[in-house]
Order: sequence, then C-alpha cells, then structure tokens
Amino acid sequence: MSLLHIKDLRLGFKTLAGQVDVLHGIDLDIAAGEKIALVGESGSGKSVTARIVLGLLQETRTARINGTVQFDGQDINSMSARDRATLRGTEMSIIFQDPTSSLNPMFTIGNQFTEVLRRRDPKLSKADSHVRATTLLDEVAIPDPARVLRAYPFQLSGGMNQRVMIAMALANKPKLLLADEPGTALDVSVQAQTLTLMRDMVVQNGTSVLFISHNLGVVREFADRIYVIYRGNIVEDGPTDALFANPQHAYTRALMSAVPRITGVGIPEVPEVSDDFLAPRISHGDAL
Amino acid sequence: MIRTLRILAANPLSLLGLTLVILITLAAIFAPWIAPFPTHNGAVVDFLNNNRPPSSHNWMGTDLVGRDIFSRILFAYQISLTLGVVVLAIAVPIGTMIGLLAGYIGGWLEMVLMRIVDVFLSIPPLVLAIAMMGVLEPTLTNAMLAVTAMWWPWYARLVYSIARGEREEGYVLAAEVIGAGAGHIAFREILPNCLPAIITKMTLDMGFVIIIASSLSFLGLGVQPPTADLGSMVAEGARYLPDSWWLTVFPGLAILVAVFGFNLLGDGLRDVLGVDE
Amino acid sequence: MSGFLRLLLNRLGISLIVLVGVSMLIFAIARIIPGDPARIALGPNANAEQIAKLRAEMHLDASLPVQYGHFVVDVLRGDLGTSLYTNRPVTQDIAQFLPATLELVFLAGFIMVAVGLPLGILAAHYRGRWQDHLVRVIALLTVSAPAFVWAVILMLLFAFYLPLFPIAGRISDIYDIERTTGFLTIDTLLAGNWTAFGSAVHHLILPAIALSLSGIGQAARLTRANMVETYDKPYIEMAQAYGFFPSRIARSYAFKPSLIPSLTIIGLDFAAMLGNAFLVEAVFAWPGLSRYGVAVILRKDLNAIMGTVLIIAITFLIVNIIVDLMIAFLNPRIRYSTRGTS
Repeated sequence: MSLLHIKDLRLGFKTLAGQVDVLHGIDLDIAAGEKIALVGESGSGKSVTARIVLGLLQETRTARINGTVQFDGQDINSMSARDRATLRGTEMSIIFQDPTSSLNPMFTIGNQFTEVLRRRDPKLSKADSHVRATTLLDEVAIPDPARVLRAYPFQLSGGMNQRVMIAMALANKPKLLLADEPGTALDVSVQAQTLTLMRDMVVQNGTSVLFISHNLGVVREFADRIYVIYRGNIVEDGPTDALFANPQHAYTRALMSAVPRITGVGIPEVPEVSDDFLAPRISHGDAL
Repeated sequence: MIRTLRILAANPLSLLGLTLVILITLAAIFAPWIAPFPTHNGAVVDFLNNNRPPSSHNWMGTDLVGRDIFSRILFAYQISLTLGVVVLAIAVPIGTMIGLLAGYIGGWLEMVLMRIVDVFLSIPPLVLAIAMMGVLEPTLTNAMLAVTAMWWPWYARLVYSIARGEREEGYVLAAEVIGAGAGHIAFREILPNCLPAIITKMTLDMGFVIIIASSLSFLGLGVQPPTADLGSMVAEGARYLPDSWWLTVFPGLAILVAVFGFNLLGDGLRDVLGVDE
Repeated sequence: MSGFLRLLLNRLGISLIVLVGVSMLIFAIARIIPGDPARIALGPNANAEQIAKLRAEMHLDASLPVQYGHFVVDVLRGDLGTSLYTNRPVTQDIAQFLPATLELVFLAGFIMVAVGLPLGILAAHYRGRWQDHLVRVIALLTVSAPAFVWAVILMLLFAFYLPLFPIAGRISDIYDIERTTGFLTIDTLLAGNWTAFGSAVHHLILPAIALSLSGIGQAARLTRANMVETYDKPYIEMAQAYGFFPSRIARSYAFKPSLIPSLTIIGLDFAAMLGNAFLVEAVFAWPGLSRYGVAVILRKDLNAIMGTVLIIAITFLIVNIIVDLMIAFLNPRIRYSTRGTS
C-alpha cells in the first residue's frame, strides 16, 4: 500500500467572478521510501497539491477540494482541522523555496528548533532540545552547531539556512517530506550541494519525498519517479529513466528541450501553449 | 472615479460612511432652510422654553437660553466642515510641495526641510494648536490658522516618504535619462503616485480636523459664543450633567457621527486605492 | 561600539537638534502675540512704570535674536521665568502639576497597549471574518470622537447613572498624603496607606480610560494591518506547515515581527495623549499640567505657556527615544548589527 494515495483530486477557488478550477482530477501515489517528483511550470497546480497534502489549503475558506488524499491510510480531506495539524511537523514536513525567509527573523535558530522538536515531544526541555538539535545540525554537516543555534537566520548564509531547514524538516523523522522548489533562491552550486545532502539524508532515513519543481534537470538526479503536471492535469508519469529515455507527451518533450545545460539554472523556456499539451495522460507504469 | 465609487459602495461600511458624509454635508449647506429654528444659530433667547429635554417640538431639547439644540448642531456642522475644508485646502498643497522638494531634490534641502518638519511633529498636534490659540485671539480665522500650522508637516512627511522611494524607481530614472526637467518629474511623474495616499489621508483628516477644532472650542480657545460650535456646546453643557444630559450628549454624538462617517469613508478608500496604513 | 549604543547616541543627537528647533518654534509662537506682551500680562490697570519694568525683565526691548538668546540661557539655567498667574517660578508650578498628568497618561498608555494590541492580534487572526469586522468598527468608533466626548459619556454612564467611579479629583478629600514624588499612587504606597492608594487608583481609572480610547483604536488598527502583512510572509506558512497552534502563531510568530513597525506609531499616539490630557483633565477636574496650561493660556501668561509647551515637547522627545531604544532592543537585526544602522 502506498504512503500517499491521491485519487481524482479536484480543487477550485471561489472568487467574486465564480469558481476558478485549478486541479482537474489528479492521481498520484508515493510508496514508502520512494522519491517522487511533480514537475510543471508555475501555475500548473503543483504547489497547491503540496498544500492540500499538508492540509493547509483545507483551512482556506475559498478553496473547494474534492477527491481522495490518503496519507498512511487516513483520509486527509475528511479529517478534522486539529487532526490534520497533528500530522504536520510530525508525520510530514516541508522545505520551502527560500530558506532564509522561511525562518522567523525574530527568533534564534535554537528557539525555532525547540519549537519543531516539541511538535513530537511536547515536554522536551530546552537543554535536551539543544542537545538533539546539535546532533541534527552535525548530521547536515554544519560546523559549530552551538554557534548556529544561537544565531538569527539573517546572520547565516542562505546555504547554511538551507541545511538548517533540512535538519528541521527531518528532525521528527517524518514519513513524508514535501520539498517545494527547495533552494531555488540559492546560488546554483549551493543549491546542488544542499540537494545532494537532502537526497543522502532522506535515503538514510527512508523518508518518502514529494519533490516539486519546474526543472526536469534538477529532478532527474533526485527522483525515482516523475509526474508531469500541466494546467491541473497529470499529462505523463513514469520511472525517471523511462520517462527521460522515451518522453511521449508533447508537453514533457517541450519541458525537456527547455532543460538548461547546467543543473538548476533559471526557469526553462517552454513554448507558450500548444494544443498537443492538452493531449491525454501517458503512463509508463510503475518502477516498483 | 466611477469605478472607485462602485467598488466602495459594495462594502456596506464604506457605503454607510459615504452616506453619512453626504447627509452631513447637505445638512450643513442647507442648515438655514432645514433647521426647525433657523434663527437659533445666534444670540437668541427664549427663556420660556429653556433647558427642555428632547420632545416632538425640540428633537434634541433646548439649551440654557432656550435655543433648539438640533438646529444649532446643523449650523455647527457648517463651521466644522468649513474649517476642515479650509485647513486642508491650505495645508495639503503646502505640505505636498515641501515633501516633494525634500523627497525628490534631496541633499541639504531634504536635511533642512525634514528637520523643520520633525520639529513640528515633536509637539503633540493639539498642544501646538492650543499654544498658538493661547497667544492669538480666539476667532474662527485664528483657529483655522493654528490648525493649518500644525497640519502641513504631516503631509510633508507622507509625500516625502513616497517621493524618496519613487526617486530610485525605473520610470523616474528613465525620465531623467530622456532629459525631463525636475519640475516635470516631480509634478508629472512622482506626484500622481502620491495622490492615492494624499486623498485617503485627506478624507480621514476631515474627521481629525473636526476633532481638533472642536477640542479647541471645548477649551474655550476656538469659535466663541453665541456662534454654534459642537465643542463649545459640549463644554457649556458639561456643567449641567447629569440632569441636563441632552446639552452635552447630542453635540458630542454629532461630532462622533460626523467623524465616524469620514473615517469609514477614508478607511474604505484606503482599501480601494491600495494605500498602506 | 555596539549598535545599540551607537543608536542611542544617534537618537540623542537628533533629539537635541529637534529640541533647538522646538525652542525656536515656541519662542516664535510667543512673539506672534498681537500687542505688547507686558501690557497684556499686567492687565488694563497697570501704569507705565510697571510695564517698563516688566518689559525690561522680559528683555522685550532687545532685538529678537538677543531675546531668543536670553530665553535659551534662562532655560539652560533651569529658569522658565515667573508665572504671572500663580506668581511662582514656572518650574515650580510644572513640578507640582506634571506628576498628576504623567500618572494619568502612563495609565492610559498602559491601557492602550494592553487592550489595543490584543484587539489587533484578534482581528488579524480572524482576518476577513466577523471578529475582524467587529474590531474594525470598534476601532473606528473609538478614534471618531475627541477625548472630551468620551470623558463626558463615560462620566455620565459610570459616575452618574451607575455610580461606580468618582466624578472628579485625584483622591478622596479625607486622605492627607505627604507629596514626595507627586504621583499619588506612589506617595500613598510610600505612606503605607492602602485605602488611600485604592482611592487614588479608583479616581484614576475613568479619566485614564477616556484618555486611552482613541489610542486603543489606533493601536488595534495598526497592529492588525502590520500583522496581516506578516501573515503573508513565508515563515508564517512554514509555522503553519509545521503544525504550530494557530493561537501561538498569532501571539508569537506573527505578532513579534509586526510589533516593531507598530511601536513607532504607538509611541506617537502615547505622546498625543499629552495633548488629549488637556481635554480629559478639564472634564474630570483633574489637577494636572493641562488644567494649569489652559488656565495660563486664558490669562495670556507667556512664561507659563512657553514653559508648559517646552516641558511637553521634551517629554514627547524622551518618549520617542525610549520607543526607538525599545525597537532596537526587540529587533535582533539592530541588536546584532555592528554598523548600528537601523
């Protein structure tokens, strides 16, 4: 059974001008320990999918969500808001685009780490959390963890903050890690380093990953399987090797031809719109 | 303009504000015709009917010399609104000019002008006006003068902060590159970007000027009796609390309603025009 | 040098420049008085000799810059002249009346922060819902009437109709408290007289609420606006994504970063209370600086007017410096900056 099972997920936003549909029936599965990428251009619906899995969009009153989102056998959509919040930060966590602005500028890294660790272990003392945080920062190869714990985010480099984010995201041994364009705001070389680190860490912990990106090049080195999303529909999916060897869908091919040579540079240029992009979904079958 | 009004009217609170402002403005303009006792604005006495509680004859009661309070409130609105319009009509252009100069030209001019503005802003507005009225004779003209003198620095600072930000914007640099004059850039390029903030602040400030002006006359430093003024009416009546409550409560509520109207409208405008708080 | 100390010196320097400007402004206001200040001060019955003597005392025959010089030298010596109203040194009058006003303004400022900030947090937490709209209407209402209207309404409701609070004064007449600090709440405690302390607090509450109301509305609106902006920041989404309790996010994660931009304006509102105290003191017969100020203004008592305005401006500047330092202390960016830029 898969850890995350998404079936016919639909999302619309209620606006003054009527309902705007964003997702038109998404199917997506992630097995335990599997690293999945969801690739598409901005506005394709990939980020909202992550926010539905986290149960954040369910709190937005204008969002209309239908379909099945099963995490570890439980249906996220039919849960109470409180139960969804219980899963966040414990069973699943997320890494955002810009690590420095994802950390609160008014609190030290140590304080924010304590908050995160207390999600799993509410009675954790400050001293104990300090010890655990030091170990965790050590694992992500941060030199002098004690100094970093005392620091505020703006005193650290972007790469350092990204390592902190990775350590925090995996601190409570979540089953699922969502990564929403992680490190896109960083330098290319720093981004590549931290992605390698993230991959090593999730493999070591056996964490499942839903990696969201606009960049097939970045995804190729990271994911076991890829889903390509276009305008709220999955247009092609399959094992990374199979998909790269034989891209079938017109949109996937367009994305691929736009992959920059150096990993992770800029946003690929995709041809404006083509009727072929709306062609039906192509599945390469499961890798497992 | 029409579009702005339509969006504004979609919000019930803004609509209420707009309605209040229109009603009060009309009431002030047509006070001599709609007031039940048009002569009660001045030094009229009617001791047979003095200090009467609200009735069908005098909706808000009568004051100590028998004048109809409702009529006097309508006339008092004339004074308050005139004062607000005059003060803003003088203070806003002066403040805007100084803010534009300091913000766009910069250099030592910016330094000197903004320090002067700081000086004015470092005395609580009401205290400055009270001090000025303390040495001047308490008349309507002097009250306008005192309130204007304390009002322009707020616009100078508002326009200055926007202009300073715009100075570095691409469109200003572009205009400089093609050789546009400083005056053209300041008035044609930067000023339009300040207008939403200025208009919003002016609407909110109509209420605030009414508050300050009525505060001055409440302390006996503004418009003098027998001319009807909301602040002095409250001050006169306050000595007869709680028995003759209508002497103070109705003029007090009249201030509240008018200022509330301008605040609701200004608040709505702020949202529609996208001005930061 | 630490950023903090550098900031303090910087603010003190700016305040000093502003203070010089304020002294010029006050001097200028005092000189726009129409007619002869000495004649006005002495009244219609004064003879030529008395007027000449007072003109000499006030240096009125010298040129304006020289007059200003005398004014500054006197102020620096701590001499604000003699009040023509009380016939005492103005400094002595101010020392007597200022504590009553400060006591009122401090409590009002405390109420403003203690009520206004939570209201703002509440509105931001429930942004777009009925709680938010309710706070918006309440906040707009409180800023829509001058303090004297609120004073009259509160007095009518809670002193006359529901006699919960006294109508006027600072303390019940039955207590004779030795004035050490001039702050009755402190003096009664120094005297160890708890019932007198209770009476002083009892007298203080209603005027302080009247004075604080418009500040509460301002503080609530400002806090809400800044917090709503903060709620759009990635670190708030991050906090939500990690399942932190919404109430904790509101009170801590979103509130703290929003407090800094709010504080400056709250400092200004606090200072504005020094002006609004004139109105509240008039209604509640509160024997403070403002009542003194109105009395001396009505008598065209120039020395006392200038002294009062100067003291209020200085208090205002001190409040602003304190607010700037609080911001520096609260904001780690300033606390840890070595360059001391804000």
